[in-house]
Amino acid sequence: MSSVSHVKAPATAPEDGGGSAAPTPGRPPVSLNRRRVRAGWLFASPALLVVAAVTVFPVVFSLVLSFWEVRLEYGGLRLGSPTLGHYEALLTHSEWYRALAFTLGFTVVSVTVELVLGTLTALVLERLGAARGWILALLLLPWALINVIAAQLWSYLFNGTYGAVSWLCEQLLGTQPDILGQPVPAMAAMVVVDVWKTTPFVAIVVLAGLMLLPGDVYEAAEIDGANAWTTFWQVTLPQLRPIVAIAVLFRILQAFGIFDLPFVLTQGGPGTATQSVAILGYRVLFQNLDFGGGAAVAVTTAVMVLACCLLFLRVFRAHVDEEGRA
Amino acid sequence: MSRNVPRKGVRRYVNAVNLGGLLIAACATLPLFWMASASLKGPGEISATPPSLLPKDPTFANYDTAFHRNGIGHYLLNSVVVACVSTVLILSLAFFAGYALSRLPVRGRGAIMTALLMLSVFPPIAMLVPLFLMERQVGLLNSYPGLIIPYVALNLPFAIWIMRNYLVGIPGELEEAAVVDGAGPLRTALTVILPLARPGLFTAGVFSFTATWSEFLLALTFNGSDDRRTVSVGIALFTSQYQVPFGVIFAGAMVATVPIGVLVLIFRRSVVSGMTTGAVKG
Repeated sequence: MSSVSHVKAPATAPEDGGGSAAPTPGRPPVSLNRRRVRAGWLFASPALLVVAAVTVFPVVFSLVLSFWEVRLEYGGLRLGSPTLGHYEALLTHSEWYRALAFTLGFTVVSVTVELVLGTLTALVLERLGAARGWILALLLLPWALINVIAAQLWSYLFNGTYGAVSWLCEQLLGTQPDILGQPVPAMAAMVVVDVWKTTPFVAIVVLAGLMLLPGDVYEAAEIDGANAWTTFWQVTLPQLRPIVAIAVLFRILQAFGIFDLPFVLTQGGPGTATQSVAILGYRVLFQNLDFGGGAAVAVTTAVMVLACCLLFLRVFRAHVDEEGRA
Repeated sequence: MSRNVPRKGVRRYVNAVNLGGLLIAACATLPLFWMASASLKGPGEISATPPSLLPKDPTFANYDTAFHRNGIGHYLLNSVVVACVSTVLILSLAFFAGYALSRLPVRGRGAIMTALLMLSVFPPIAMLVPLFLMERQVGLLNSYPGLIIPYVALNLPFAIWIMRNYLVGIPGELEEAAVVDGAGPLRTALTVILPLARPGLFTAGVFSFTATWSEFLLALTFNGSDDRRTVSVGIALFTSQYQVPFGVIFAGAMVATVPIGVLVLIFRRSVVSGMTTGAVKG
């Protein structure tokens, strides 16, 4: 690394006068700093180039594809003329709206449930003594389980004839529902699996937030005579907000891109009841081989995700400023 | 509800907390226990009603089938190769990038970090078509590099975040001492920073490994052919036979879950610190 900077030093910075090769006692900070700037870019660029080539470039490529007539031929992709047809098809197709509605509904319901259960779990864990470490470790297991395996496991549990959940339903309700065979129960099942798998993440993040809260606020609340309920809503929750906000953003974006779970658990069915946007995109691409249409699905998804991020950052920043000024 | 401040509960309250803890532990592990139990059941018992908690007649037949008829061992090998190589590459690139973005004067650091954070949550479906076409063009479909390259790129942003957040906290004096001794940036990074960065590397490593071990969408699309399938695709496609062979699926699932479960339990501190990295420090 140092030899590279020596060779390049005169070419890129003639006024440096070989200072980096033999630092003169009078001005080492300048050459040192130049060298550090150069090293900074040299160290950062391999990673940034890989990321740009494999993520940024394809996103831009998707954007282009979505506005062009695309045909797949033996030699590769053949581009026709520019068109808005893919977006027109998307916006006039009820299947896209249904996929979007399911994905949004799924995201809102599952993230809300995870947030509530995750906070409750964190509150319990915070109060636990020696057992906390053990339970924390156990909570990591569903989180680390491969999505596809979680989906297979729950499709067994939800199985209409011999699944344990179905059997439990029969004992409690008297009827044996075909959970994955009806639209609404299938959607609910999807939420259950997602909640089971990702509540641990929310709980651990909230727990970390709880541990960081200063103890003196609680003492103040105690002196003021606040009960546990009031303390939670007026002292604990407001202070947790910044931490919870980021966890929620992560979860929203993850839930919005959900693919593995419906692919294995319901195959998007019954009908298209649990077809997420990602599943729709995949089908348009690889079953219909409609690359332009698939790109349009991808781009609209990406735009919504970006909008969500920016909106969130704005609201969150505004909130931080407000707190800072208050 | 107790009138006390949460920290100082009465005895009844403590019991409720313990019960809650028990409930949480049961919810988290019961389905996993069910899977382990079902993997040991014979074909009759696995679809029996009412379902049994423990196998009456435990058998390893499902494991035998998973290995000898469904080739789960081969899928495992593919997953090990892809996940290990990806993780090593991610860590080496993320270490230097994290060092540069935390301790070297790189202009536009803030913008780069925000862009990386956004990329780390971008849905992969948005990059699927172009990546597929690019890989098809250069003949990378159904090969190890065909998965390793996108995995490295997709997991780098988060790994860089973890490394950068960790390295920011290392005191500057050690680095300055090395500079005074005449060490260049590379030698400083390797001899001073790298040994101190181990916890950060563990965190980034365990997250990268878990993510690449579990990834499904790209593995399904790019490496669909049987000889290059990873474990998640293999287990998902067990279903496509005429009858769902849950016993064999769960035997395969157990084999794929045990390594990652052990890894996560060993590195549980790293996992927890990684989960909270964006929240606490970001």
